[in-house]
Amino acid sequence: MNVITDFLQNSVNKYPDKIALVSSNQKYTYKELFESVKSFSSYIAKFPKNSVVSLLFENSADFIISYLATLHASCIAHILPIIISDENLLKQIESAEPKMIITTKQFIKRIEKIEKKNIEKFDVNEIPIDYNSNEKRNPLPENISYLLYTSGTTTVPKGVPVTHQNCVFTTKNITKILNYNETDVNILPLPLYHSFGLGCFHTSLFTGATLVLHKNATNISELSCSIKNNSASTLALVPASLTKILHESKDEMLNSLSRLRLLITNTTSLQTNIVKEYRKILKNGNFATYYGLTEASRSTFMIFDKDGKENSVGLPSPGVELKLVDSKNNSGDKGEIWIRGRNVIKKYWKNPEADKNIVDGWLKTGDLGYRDSDGYLYLTGRVDNVINISGEKVIPEEIERMVKSLSGIEETIAVGIDHEIYGKVVKLFVKKTSDSKIKKSEIVTYCIKNLERYKVPAIVEFVDEFPRTEYGKIKRFMLQ
Amino acid sequence: MDLEQEVQKIFFEAFPTLKESQFDWNKKQKDYENWDSFAQLNLITLAESTFDINLTLDESISITSAKELLDCIKSHL
Repeated sequence: MNVITDFLQNSVNKYPDKIALVSSNQKYTYKELFESVKSFSSYIAKFPKNSVVSLLFENSADFIISYLATLHASCIAHILPIIISDENLLKQIESAEPKMIITTKQFIKRIEKIEKKNIEKFDVNEIPIDYNSNEKRNPLPENISYLLYTSGTTTVPKGVPVTHQNCVFTTKNITKILNYNETDVNILPLPLYHSFGLGCFHTSLFTGATLVLHKNATNISELSCSIKNNSASTLALVPASLTKILHESKDEMLNSLSRLRLLITNTTSLQTNIVKEYRKILKNGNFATYYGLTEASRSTFMIFDKDGKENSVGLPSPGVELKLVDSKNNSGDKGEIWIRGRNVIKKYWKNPEADKNIVDGWLKTGDLGYRDSDGYLYLTGRVDNVINISGEKVIPEEIERMVKSLSGIEETIAVGIDHEIYGKVVKLFVKKTSDSKIKKSEIVTYCIKNLERYKVPAIVEFVDEFPRTEYGKIKRFMLQ
Repeated sequence: MDLEQEVQKIFFEAFPTLKESQFDWNKKQKDYENWDSFAQLNLITLAESTFDINLTLDESISITSAKELLDCIKSHL
């Protein structure tokens, strides 16, 4: 299998009548899914190969059909997040230059507002599916399959073009390491406009498994029922949902989780107690995470099967090289994480400035980390977030993790603010849990006890909410 | 807890190795073995967050004893 469309073709050949997709009240066998994709792609194939088709959908069968149809027509799927602002929507459209935008009734008005010539705009239900293009197309492994824009928590969003071969390489690694197979029923409540969710979908398609798609993970009871009713074997959730489940869930959800063979989460250092709790809940199943970027998907994997490595994001994936580079450009066991492998993009989308971060195939991630004596990777922060306090380099994420371990704290962000004496000092923004009565002085005292003096926040401010990007990441730069 | 006790508590929190017998309202910064510029910052942050006050930069750097911190806090309440 060399391209994403082979995943579907292969599964149709092997399991034509098996349920490929469950979404809302719709069910598609592999054969039905393939027929819908072929029919839909005949219209998209009127555009030249490698044309961009923008997709704005919530999780749905319509999205999956539109996405696969775009790839089937050898076009590039530009996937837009549904919570995108009008300003960023326009920026992405200007950058991606699609020939066509496909969406649903729900979002069509937003699309119609875009005043760009030569772009066809369609509600997915109004595309003429009887359109017939006779040209038979096959994408090539080196062709771009999809285009996602990174969240831009500190900078302007960058277009990340992922090729078919990048994606095939990553999907094979996910399958092999996490033992995905055709017997799996995969529950997916993650947005498909994010690399995590999209990768889970690719894996399900690749293995010929059944994907049960949810719009989101906000309704824990619904997820619990879905696991039971579909006899699910795997579930993918972001860390925030894992925390929410532990805080809010009743036995019913915990009982449902205990049936799974795999619970997968993503790209963050998890708190030790969270890992321990889920290992207990899963009983015979595995709890796993990974580290990756849209530019270098699934670069490491961590299966939490032993004590003492709970904060690690694991070992490099097969065929992926990792090095840690310090500020003097020396490679060692601590520093900025650089990644090289077939999961890494060759270059960004029309962005020579961003391309400077890819040198000889090495992607400079901007993430900081260290490796322990067994080679396990740990994340510590971001290069661009480092605060210089009188010459002392402070990684704000260390302070955030420390304060988050206090009871009554939901989220924290530490930033550097100007100070006449120290150059910079730490200001800590804190979102408390709804029932929390914690005082600012208690947070400061806790920091004094647990951090070096220069890392202790000079100011603590409580906030009700943090400004966030379309992808849910906190806009740290807005707090500085 | 009265104001004086609160200020004492701040000192014991800012200087975790400080023993009760070593505390003196008039003891000067130079007599504390670990009252450096960052300890000063921690002390002021603790005072501000405890009493919900804001000290000016001049006030912050002029405090060199527990007594001076107490007086400064009083002037803001």
